[in-house]
Formats: sequence, structure tokens, C-alpha cells
Amino acid sequence: MKLKRVVITGMGAVTPLGHDVPSLMAGIEEGRSAVRYMEGWDQYLGMRSLVGAPAELKDEKKIPRQQRRSMGRMSIFAAQAAAQAVADAQITLSGAPGFRIGCAIGSTMGSAKSINDTFEIMLPKKDLSQLNSTMFFQCMSHTAAVNVAQYLGLNGYVLSTAAACASGLQAIGAGYDLIRLGKQDVMLCGGAEELHPTVTGSFDILFATSANFNKDPQRTPRPFDGDRDGLVCGEGSGVLVLEDRDRALARNARIYAEIVGYSTNGNGVHMSQPNKDAMVRCMQDALQESGIPAGDVDYINAHATGTPQGDCEEAAAVRELFGDAVPISSLKGYLGHTLGASGAIELIASIGMMEQGTIYPTLNLERVDEACGGVRHVLKRERADVDVVLKNCFAFGGINATLVCRKHRSERG
Amino acid sequence: MIEQGIIDKTNQVFEEFFEIESGRLQPQAHIFTDLGLDSLDIVDLIVALQNKFKIKIRNEEDVQNIRTLQDIYAFIAAVKSREAAKTA
Repeated sequence: MKLKRVVITGMGAVTPLGHDVPSLMAGIEEGRSAVRYMEGWDQYLGMRSLVGAPAELKDEKKIPRQQRRSMGRMSIFAAQAAAQAVADAQITLSGAPGFRIGCAIGSTMGSAKSINDTFEIMLPKKDLSQLNSTMFFQCMSHTAAVNVAQYLGLNGYVLSTAAACASGLQAIGAGYDLIRLGKQDVMLCGGAEELHPTVTGSFDILFATSANFNKDPQRTPRPFDGDRDGLVCGEGSGVLVLEDRDRALARNARIYAEIVGYSTNGNGVHMSQPNKDAMVRCMQDALQESGIPAGDVDYINAHATGTPQGDCEEAAAVRELFGDAVPISSLKGYLGHTLGASGAIELIASIGMMEQGTIYPTLNLERVDEACGGVRHVLKRERADVDVVLKNCFAFGGINATLVCRKHRSERG
Repeated sequence: MIEQGIIDKTNQVFEEFFEIESGRLQPQAHIFTDLGLDSLDIVDLIVALQNKFKIKIRNEEDVQNIRTLQDIYAFIAAVKSREAAKTA
């Protein structure tokens, strides 16, 4: 069976830097941090990290009420990002007979605020009678995927890849595999996540969050930096339109890039400790599928969230495969860690770098930690031909995911 | 004659929760076919009315017979008057 080729023809994003892809790129270009002090979080006893990167919820009433009622904050972001991606791809959602379009949208969990509100209403007296019918739809773990599908009328595969920080990239990988196998023609793929004190709290109790910069929020997170002290949660959604390449060419679609390799694995070792060998294996497998040698990668978009252990483990893995030959940067300093959305949002930004011929630096990386050395850190903006991008996500539960994309050039076969 | 307060508060639920303009809230309006509510909305309508009027109506049999706004006004009035009678 001949596998199909898969290209990216549309992108949409709602992020802490703004409500669309141009504002995401503009924010990164300006070196802006969306991290701020979060009012009211100090009410949570024992919460160490009081910073976060919120996105703005706006224009939600443009979504008709009967579609919006099942959407928590996160699903609204996902629906908006998906609609942007569809418009960007200039794709008609109801095609010829037999046209198969679905979606894969990942998130760590259902809507955090809706889950919180549901239990706050129900628990004091274990009273169910106060609960709205739609609370369940906002809380259920596949809420973002089904809301995108219902909102856009998609009736193909509807997948929800829940893998913490790897959710978005796993969704894109799943869509890629489905189209390659000829099972779907188009897939809207990405991730979504919501910022809430309980989400930060779940990392906070593990001492994984940044707690030293509550009075100076924009100086954190600090990926790969000697003074890094943990991650900062963000929120938003990124969605990409993945399409069968033949179909995209036949309709003269604008093609951003081709997905040429993908892999995901578990480290099988520890629930929270990252593992260099599993990361290496994941990147190797993705590269092998792409047929592109490690030395031909032009840019690595790192997972690096600013945690002491995660960043140096990723640096060690990159060092082993690439040495110091390939520029690497993390976008978490601008956006915070958007968790389930991060793979998609950061891939979108990486494709933006391809388009602009520019590699943006790791924000807040002022003094490279020795343990993160031996790789080519990008400390200042660089002009470069970014043809091949490798995107990493390394999640809790030891889940790793790597995607390799190559810029589309029409003269290529 | 239904108390105006019941009419106003019921209409507020439709305006605030279901985003329906006040001009459409005529007493004879059918909540499904005229106002566009569906089965999921009915659950939320009951919760919203319970909260608005501080009454319990979920297990009332007559809830099943509600079709129009006028039916809701009359239903609420009946529940309130039964509760007033209990506490009298």
C-alpha cells in the first residue's frame, strides 16, 4: 500500500500573545512575555507559584449559544483556533461525496474551570440538583475535540489525545497517520488547555513550578538558564489543517510545509522524571521516517519548560544526536507552558519562522546552565533558511513526541 | 392573574441564560418551537428557575406538561402558593 503524503495548509491559534497567528508571531518578534502575576491565586494555601500566562477570552458570543453551551473556556479557544485554521486553508468543510474530514484535538483534561465549578457546586452537600446539563460536556476529557467537531460539523474521525504536554503533538501525529493511511482526507489537528490555579497547583505540589519570580513575572520561565526554577502554566489553543498532499495540490492550496516524520513513545521508567534515552529514541525514529539526516535539520523547537531536570535531560538528548550543529530554542519564555496546546502552538510558531526565514531566541536565557551546554542555543534572533524543523514535546508520564516538517517548495516533487 | 414579579423573573432567566431578546418573550410563545430550546436546555431551565425563585421544581410532575411561557408562569405561581400554604 502506497502511503499518502501529508501537508499543512492552514493554521489558527489563540494564545497568551494574542488572538490569532499574526499576533503570536508579532509577540515573539517583539520579545514579549505574556507571563503575569495572577490575582487571587494566593488564596490557595500552600501555592508557591503565583504567575501564569493567560489568554484573553473574547468574541465568544459569536459562537451560537446552543453550540457554546457545551464549551468551557478551553473549548472556546479550540473552536476559535479551528475556525481560523479552516479559513486560512480556504477549505470547504462539506466536500464532494466521500470527502472525509475529522479532527484530533488533545488536552490534558477537560475544562479546568468547569471541573472546579462543578465540584464547588456539588460537594458541600453532595447536591446534584444544582448542576447544569452542560457541565458534563464541559468537563469530559474529550470536550475540546467534540466541541470543534460539532461547531464545524465534522463527521469523520474525532480523536482526543490526552497526553499532558504531548497532547497537541500526538493529535497532529495521529492526524498525519490517518491521512497517510488513506483513512481521512483532511484532519484538523492540535491542542487546547486552560489556565486555572488548580492546574498550576497540580505542578506546584510536585515543586515543578517557578516560585522565585512572583514579583518579577516576565523573567520566568527561563528555559536552559542557570537560574531557572520551574515551569509557568499558560493557556490557549493551536489548530493546523492537515491534508492529503495530492488533494492540496489539485485545489491549488497554499501549502506551508509537509510533515515528513513523527514518532511518540513512553520512557517506561518513571512517571515524572524525564529520560534522555527515550527522548533520543523518539527523535531518531521521527528522523528515520523522514529520511532526513540529523545534520540537515535547520532548527529544533524545544520542549524545555524551565524545569531544572527536564531542560538538561532534553539538552543531553539533543547533544547526543545533533551535537552543537543545530540551532535550538524554546518558546516557553514568551508563552508560558500551554500544556496540551503547546505542541500545536509552538509548531505553528516554528512554521512562522520557516516563513520568515528567522529563528527566534529562547526568552530569558541569559546564562546557559553548564548542564544544558554542548548544543547550539539561540540567544539572539538569527536570519536563516529554515527548511527542516524538528519539534519536541516531552510530557509527564514519560511520554515523548517528535514531529519533523519540511518547508514546501513548489519545485519539489 | 399571575403576579408580575413571577413574569419578570421568568423572563430574566430567558434573557440572561438563553440570550433571547425580551420582544420574543410573549406568554403564548412555545418554548421549543418558538423560543428554540431543546432537551438539554430544559434541564438548565429547571436549574435556573430553581435558583431564581429559590424553589425546588425538578421532581414536580407538572414540569412535564410545560409548553409555553404562560405555562411556566402558572406553574411557578402554583408551586409558590403551595409552599406558602405549607409554611402558613
